[in-house]
Amino acid sequence: MRKIVTLSICMAVFLALFSANLAVAAQVTLRFSDWHLTEDVWNKSLNEGMDIFHKRHSNIKVVLEPVSYKEKETKYTVESAAGRAPDVFHVHAFSLPMFFSKGFAKDLTSFIEKEGPGFMDAWYPLPIDLMKSKGKIHAMPGDYMTMVLFYNTEMFKAAGLNPNNPPKTCDDFLDYAKKLTRDTDGDGKIDQWGFGTLGSKSPGFSMRFGPFLWSFGGDYLTPDMKHSALDSPEAKEAFTFFVELYTKHKVIPPGLTAMGAQDVRTQLAQKKVAMIMGSGWTPPIVNKINPDLKAFEVLKCAPAPTKRKQATAIWLSSWVMSPTTKHPNEAWELIKFITSKEIELKWFVDNRVTSSRKDVSGVAPEILNDKFASVMASQLPYGKVEPQIKQWPEIIDTFTTSLQEAIVGMKTPDKALAEAHERINAILAR
Amino acid sequence: MRIKDRHMWIFFVLPGVLLLILVLGFPAITSVLYSVKPEQAGDVSYTLSHYSNLLKDPFFKTIFWNTGIFVFLSVGTHMILGLAVAMVLNSALPAQPLFRLIALLPWVIPDVVAGIIWKWMFDPIYGAINDVLLKMGMIQSSIEWLSNPKLALLSVVLVNLWRGFPFVMLILLAGLQAIPKVLYEAAAIDGASNLKTFFYITIPGLRKMIVVALALDIVWEVRRFGLIQSMTQGGPGVLTEVLSTYTYKQYFQFFRFEYASAISVVLTVVLLLVSLPYIWMISQEE
Repeated sequence: MRKIVTLSICMAVFLALFSANLAVAAQVTLRFSDWHLTEDVWNKSLNEGMDIFHKRHSNIKVVLEPVSYKEKETKYTVESAAGRAPDVFHVHAFSLPMFFSKGFAKDLTSFIEKEGPGFMDAWYPLPIDLMKSKGKIHAMPGDYMTMVLFYNTEMFKAAGLNPNNPPKTCDDFLDYAKKLTRDTDGDGKIDQWGFGTLGSKSPGFSMRFGPFLWSFGGDYLTPDMKHSALDSPEAKEAFTFFVELYTKHKVIPPGLTAMGAQDVRTQLAQKKVAMIMGSGWTPPIVNKINPDLKAFEVLKCAPAPTKRKQATAIWLSSWVMSPTTKHPNEAWELIKFITSKEIELKWFVDNRVTSSRKDVSGVAPEILNDKFASVMASQLPYGKVEPQIKQWPEIIDTFTTSLQEAIVGMKTPDKALAEAHERINAILAR
Repeated sequence: MRIKDRHMWIFFVLPGVLLLILVLGFPAITSVLYSVKPEQAGDVSYTLSHYSNLLKDPFFKTIFWNTGIFVFLSVGTHMILGLAVAMVLNSALPAQPLFRLIALLPWVIPDVVAGIIWKWMFDPIYGAINDVLLKMGMIQSSIEWLSNPKLALLSVVLVNLWRGFPFVMLILLAGLQAIPKVLYEAAAIDGASNLKTFFYITIPGLRKMIVVALALDIVWEVRRFGLIQSMTQGGPGVLTEVLSTYTYKQYFQFFRFEYASAISVVLTVVLLLVSLPYIWMISQEE
């Protein structure tokens, strides 16, 4: 009897250990990488999101891999080339053509088809189009926002401007910027500027310059995207307007060509500038930099200033599945989860980023009643995206190089723009 | 048995050789192969067009020139400051280990961190450098260190001087310590001035170390990337763009792997040419 009891206990222990091992063996580990993981607010939100995912998919374990905003393309390129890219990663929409051209993004058509007809109807058509390579969807759209003008209402009041009447035209904008450029401590030196913007060679530059260029009626490229369109009078006018904000009107703080996005947000947070171009991410980040500012109360936003037509830039991010993933079905489950209606709404509530889903950005009361998101959503019909061609990073770098040369006075705006036009044509002709 | 012993060295050398082939040879060969691969898949299996395109590249000449100036100024200032600090640290200084540690500090800070710190110090609004100069009355308004076309490259070189001199200093300090003291004592007995002692004893005694420091520092500075990328990203315009940042941009931002590889090959050839005196000196010693 004793032997039987002992044997039974041993077998029970063995079976328990064996089944536990089986459970562990059945668990799939996915690598998930996102630059947002380096940002406090987003990091918390993403971790909470993954906790929900883990509860619903006990067989999948998601390992989070942070990457810096600037280095994400570098990291994913190298890892993709080596066949070791994260199973799911997050990139700008404008980076997609390069990933597509190198075969670094998995075709998602079969997964989408399995979800049944009408699955993609929940998204706006433009973001879906931008996810396609050779007519097939190779990524899922993420954040979808417009660039708008953020301004500090207290600084408006201090300069005698009505904070409920933000600048609507580019002429108003210049007038406001001049009034907001002031010597606030009376030492005879300007210590507050009307407008803060990027001037460095950074991925965010075109998001800030694009609204001006398009509003003036100009564009970077011709509609067929085969030639530069920077020789148009409208493009010249927009280029000169932007350069002269710095060189002639001096409404932008010194050191423009070295300023990146975080530098400019810091200037807004520290009340060094009164207006910047931004989007959903701006209030939480500014609040984080300087909580004393009370960004959510003090800041307001308005549509980008208009010259000839209302226009702004669209920010669109995308979720990519690595073609070398060993667990495509689980990776799809993860992508489906992070782009679901429920979770897209969570991303908005936590991080103020609007979604590329119509059934979130178009109807959610949280978005429609939010003072920032409502303005951004109202601008979606006027939004434009940067050219989705693989040469775009090189083109915008060439353009920024010329703009910097004009800003620092090495060349006249006309000459700098003419050189950019020629060089971009050479890139496109290659 | 004797024959086996004679060939035993192969087994000792083989792991090192294989490791070298793996970590150096493989990437080098891959780069060369990439540099002759057409960007678009077509009829030809190889092309030299990437090399000829370098000559047509509107920025390449300027960037090559920038790299030369950056390396010349950086290495030149490293040698002067490195030698000066090495001589101070070689003298009978109180708390010598502490000063040696302090002198080494800039070298242990990563390039990118150093670049970000100095970018903030150069900031025209918040930067400590402008603030100090304004308070001292040396300037009337903030200087745009990284945006002024006349100052941008010099500002980066200045930071690189701070960042890179300890490397040269270390090599020269080792060289100074190897010079026999009796030579200085003999010179003092003969009544040689400090200047003559420096030129006739110190410099000849350091000759080999100077060549080593020069060759290694040139190679380091041609490859300097993180500092420039974090401070200016090559701007304004292409005034601070150097070959390392341009290669990075072509490869990782523009996805032009083949063109970037061609630039890398050219850079390697230039570095090999620069390293020849060093290689020659080492071979002469043997």
